[in-house]
Amino acid sequence: MFIIVILIYSVVFLYDFLPLYKQKEWKEFIVNACLGLVSFTIALLLSFNLKIPSPEAPIREIITSIFGK
Amino acid sequence: MGKELITDKEAICLLMLFTMGSTLILGVGSDAKNDAWLAVIAGLLMSLPVILIYSRLLSIFPGKDLFEILDMTLGRLLGKLVALIYIWYAFHLGALVLRNFGEFMVTMTMPETPIFVPMLGLGLLCVFAVRLGIEEIGRISAYLLPVLMIILLIVLGLAIPQFELTNLKPVLGKGLGPVINGGFSAFSFPFAESAILLGAFFCLKTKKSPFKVYTLAILFAGTLIMVLTIRNISLLGQLTSKLYFPSYVAVSRISVGDFIQRIEVTVSIIFVVGAFAKSSICLLVASRGIQRIFKLKDYRKVVIQLGSLMVLLSYIVYDTTMMMQYWAFKVYRYYAFPMQVIFPVIIWIIAEAKKNKSKPAGKKAPANE
Repeated sequence: MFIIVILIYSVVFLYDFLPLYKQKEWKEFIVNACLGLVSFTIALLLSFNLKIPSPEAPIREIITSIFGK
Repeated sequence: MGKELITDKEAICLLMLFTMGSTLILGVGSDAKNDAWLAVIAGLLMSLPVILIYSRLLSIFPGKDLFEILDMTLGRLLGKLVALIYIWYAFHLGALVLRNFGEFMVTMTMPETPIFVPMLGLGLLCVFAVRLGIEEIGRISAYLLPVLMIILLIVLGLAIPQFELTNLKPVLGKGLGPVINGGFSAFSFPFAESAILLGAFFCLKTKKSPFKVYTLAILFAGTLIMVLTIRNISLLGQLTSKLYFPSYVAVSRISVGDFIQRIEVTVSIIFVVGAFAKSSICLLVASRGIQRIFKLKDYRKVVIQLGSLMVLLSYIVYDTTMMMQYWAFKVYRYYAFPMQVIFPVIIWIIAEAKKNKSKPAGKKAPANE
């Protein structure tokens, strides 16, 4: 499964990053690389069947602690 | 790059689709049980002042989007901080809409498909749409909204023979409390979510169009949601508030002369278009925010990465459908309240104060000439 993830992400990276690299738009390149690395990491972890903590739990806990259930 | 412009009609259609998007399928104001249609009216009335504040903000700063307004009113540092909160809100809302769509597909229409597939499909579509720009999203919504209206009206007409209006009784049977409670839920779930559109309506033509766009679209969408809620309640009765997707079940009950049956696929069509419009606007606003914060040249360059992140977030955000329901109707209204009401009101007060300060100077200038 993780091979598919790596393949898809390498295609996307080629499509998305080569033009930025060629036009020397470094700011866009860095922002894009940060976002891409985060999403690639999450996708890779998901492909290993790991459970990733959802951001909804802390928000829900804070709100239910203030306003009650 | 040329400036993007959309006409008022396209903007109205966009905002209507945005408002109706996931509401049509999840239902609204389930706290109020059979008074849910009154809750929609209450939510509409509650949202009108907020809507006027949004449109006033847009008309004070014509041609500017939310993030520029934040920079101009709150200053650089605080403006960026609030902008980050808005980016997160838009991004999270887009992921939630994708998740709603995925849950709907998996529980109702395609139970054997993994939930990731429909969400990935819709996410890809959103990425394509946002890369084309807001003009194209506006045009496609102006094209699709009449089609959806026709479908909705035909289905409504077919449903009328099976209406049991006694299901609506007793009106206000448990007093005003549940109606106000449901009204708050309706306020935050579809109507005041249009705060997101502050980040996308930089492209309106004139100074007056924000008022027209916001009031007309919210009134139309509110009326439609009310009519459809009445339809659901009078078809399903007490069941309405117990179902995850009441519209789908209500429409599946329609049968005209044992011949026209199983027309619930129309609900899916409407939901696909609504979810597409809503999550693509959210993606657009989030990527514009990132463009503004990091001072990039074009928001289109971060869309692919942000879109893939959005799909992944929508995959991990809930474990079960129950959690989604709990979130949508119990948690979401408090979570979204700062972004929908508190920040816009603060920005609006500061903007008016700044405008009044600069007005005398502005009046002096022509006198000196």
